[in-house]
Amino acid sequence: MPLAQTEVSRTASLFEGYDPGEFYDEMFSARGVPRPHYAKMFHWLAAMVPAQFEERRQLADLSFLMQGITFTVYSDGQGTERLFPFDLIPRILPRSEWERIERGLAQRVVALNLFLQDVYGQQRILKDRQIPRALVYSCQHFRREMIGVEVPRGIHTHISGIDLVRDSKTGEFLVLEDNVRTPSGVSYVLENRLVMTRTLPDAFQAYEVLPVNHYPAELSKILRNLSPRAGDEPQMVLLSPGIHNSAYFEHSFLAQQMGIELVEGRDLIVDGGVVYMKTIRGLKRVDVMYRRIDDDFLDPLTFRRDSLLGVPGLMGAYRAGSVALANAVGNGVADDKAVYSYVPAIIRYYLGEDPLLRNVETYVCSKETDLAYVRDHLAELVVKAVGESGGYGMLIGPVAERAKIADFRDLITANPRNYIAQPVVALSRVPSYHAATERMVGCHVDLRPYCLYNGEKVIVVPGGLTRVALQPGSLVVNSSQGGGSKDTWVLNGEA
Amino acid sequence: MPEMLSRIADSLFWMARYIERAEDTARILDVNYHTMLERSHLPYRLRWDPLIVMAGEEKPFQHLYSEATASTVFEFLAFRPDNPSSIVQCIAKARENARTIRDRISREMWEDINGLYHMLGRFRPAEEIAAGPHRFCDAVKFACHRFHGVSDATLPHDDGWQFLRIGWALERAEATGRLVDVQYHNLLEAPRLELPPDNHQWMAVLRSVGAYEAYHREYHSPIRPEKVAEMLILHPQHPRSIRFSATEVQAGLRAISGTGPGSYANEAERLTGKVLESLRYNTIEEIFAHGLHAYLSELLKTWRSIGEDIARTYFYYAVVA
Repeated sequence: MPLAQTEVSRTASLFEGYDPGEFYDEMFSARGVPRPHYAKMFHWLAAMVPAQFEERRQLADLSFLMQGITFTVYSDGQGTERLFPFDLIPRILPRSEWERIERGLAQRVVALNLFLQDVYGQQRILKDRQIPRALVYSCQHFRREMIGVEVPRGIHTHISGIDLVRDSKTGEFLVLEDNVRTPSGVSYVLENRLVMTRTLPDAFQAYEVLPVNHYPAELSKILRNLSPRAGDEPQMVLLSPGIHNSAYFEHSFLAQQMGIELVEGRDLIVDGGVVYMKTIRGLKRVDVMYRRIDDDFLDPLTFRRDSLLGVPGLMGAYRAGSVALANAVGNGVADDKAVYSYVPAIIRYYLGEDPLLRNVETYVCSKETDLAYVRDHLAELVVKAVGESGGYGMLIGPVAERAKIADFRDLITANPRNYIAQPVVALSRVPSYHAATERMVGCHVDLRPYCLYNGEKVIVVPGGLTRVALQPGSLVVNSSQGGGSKDTWVLNGEA
Repeated sequence: MPEMLSRIADSLFWMARYIERAEDTARILDVNYHTMLERSHLPYRLRWDPLIVMAGEEKPFQHLYSEATASTVFEFLAFRPDNPSSIVQCIAKARENARTIRDRISREMWEDINGLYHMLGRFRPAEEIAAGPHRFCDAVKFACHRFHGVSDATLPHDDGWQFLRIGWALERAEATGRLVDVQYHNLLEAPRLELPPDNHQWMAVLRSVGAYEAYHREYHSPIRPEKVAEMLILHPQHPRSIRFSATEVQAGLRAISGTGPGSYANEAERLTGKVLESLRYNTIEEIFAHGLHAYLSELLKTWRSIGEDIARTYFYYAVVA
């Protein structure tokens, strides 16, 4: 059935009782009034009865299960495999809005890369006192071993995942955090799209949706250009911690899509300053590594000595330039949550431009005035540990128990450098299917676009991963905390 | 074409072995059960303990059960998580191997083995034990065949495929060897004094390796134990005979190393060649004269050595200073 405007009958029950509430609703500008770019989608869904929708939903779930697109939960001691919950209602962005976001992302990625070059190079920004030296040097992920290392083509941030949220108060997209170490999730962008085109082929016919599946090819091009051996076909590998890592599916997916070798630390060996992999016909040289292992675990000779995941001697080979790594080592200094509050200053300092995407207002507890404010307003704020990611080490003041707030007050007082606080952002919502009631419910979403940087240009896959807090009312979108995802559509036009 | 990682070759080899092990167990369970049904009027009970011996898991079995009956053996060999060779465990391990190399196998292979794993998870052991093993074993057998087919049709026949082929053949050679050895011992030597020559049991052996019809085409004669042994050990074309499996192992090894006939590139190839000579030029009468059990035990030892030599040659690296 091609998508066509349908008369909304009174039995169109999927949206019965749907209330956008006081939040910015991505689909509706007011109760019952879809935004122009969502109009066709709304009318199409409204013409469906829940049973029809349910059938498609099960088809999508089955497709994820059969492809083994699961993540492993270890908390129950059994290592249960779960589906990453997927909601069929896409998050749609008109092209003009996306282009504004894209320019802002590109600006931010270029600035963060310049910052990393500088911090591990001349340190001009520190000498010019734009960021306190102590703040940078006390970052958990600052790596002294990288000082003076010239990385191939000057690229540190080959792959960035910049988390955005839309503030319900203003409708504006804000940067919530930067992820420039080993951001994950892009495989879900590609697989979600694949499943959507299989499950809702008719919906795609009505819209012109910009494709996303060129991501692996673009990444592969960037990796290829890092090879230290000019001329020869470079040997590229993806270094994974292995099957027990929760992102293992993504590692194998990307390796397969790029046609590069998926390796674990035990497959590699460093000899005479060169990295080799162990093949059935002896050792073969490795030139470029897309590593999905954290800095800490890369090389037991340099970082954590108890790491069994890494490769002894890898840092030596990297520093000597015989192997290229993406992303570079030491990037964590740029996505530290305290440094985050300086990113607008970083953009102005290196580019002489105002940031196109604003930050969420942030209190840095290492500043005395901010600390005092945070301690007095914990019940209204979101507190985050600066070096953590994935929703860990977090306090959401308005919903936290008093004991937990008290605990955080002690933690912050004991180690202010380790914490920042932000006001609770009222995230925008997208209608999402609630199986128990067979109705649409507004659920909060964020957006993680994936940015690739080749040293000259930032390439952003149109859209990105829309993470959704499927627990009604919840603001936490992380998959480790019960969140799910949606396909994100950037339209080639306005509607 | 980049060279295959040793770890990946290792996983392919073991993935194939586990699938084959699951299939072999399913076949033996199913056939034994049917034989039991057909002979329920006979005054003696069909023995189930040889199946445990064949699986090489006597100790864990005795630890769990006091008696080998149709239902305890079925439960143990099909479902028990504490039996490392149970069908469900084999499939789980095969899938785990597949998962670590899913970027290197075809999408179809992964989806097939992943689907098989989830399918087994939907069987309820209690219900299946009550219903008898046929439904379950048939599903496993069919699924394993399909995985063979999917692999054959979707994976490039390069080094990786050769490791699959070797894993399959090596496991099958071992399984057939154990089957003949254990059945011969139990059927021919032990109960001879009290029972008439029992063709039903030998039919069951043939059926368990899918060779019943082929036997009749080949021999046009009533089923005779030494002929069954000949067919299962020495037949050049039957895909479950030991000789056929040895030919497959040799072809796989040669394809990987590029060795031509009459020579060998490593210990695994040398031993395989030696075994194959013996299987080609010995008659079943000579093997019986030598002692069937001694011959099969020797073979089993050699398969083990070949497996170890393959691992030494292709999978493991000594620590390099």
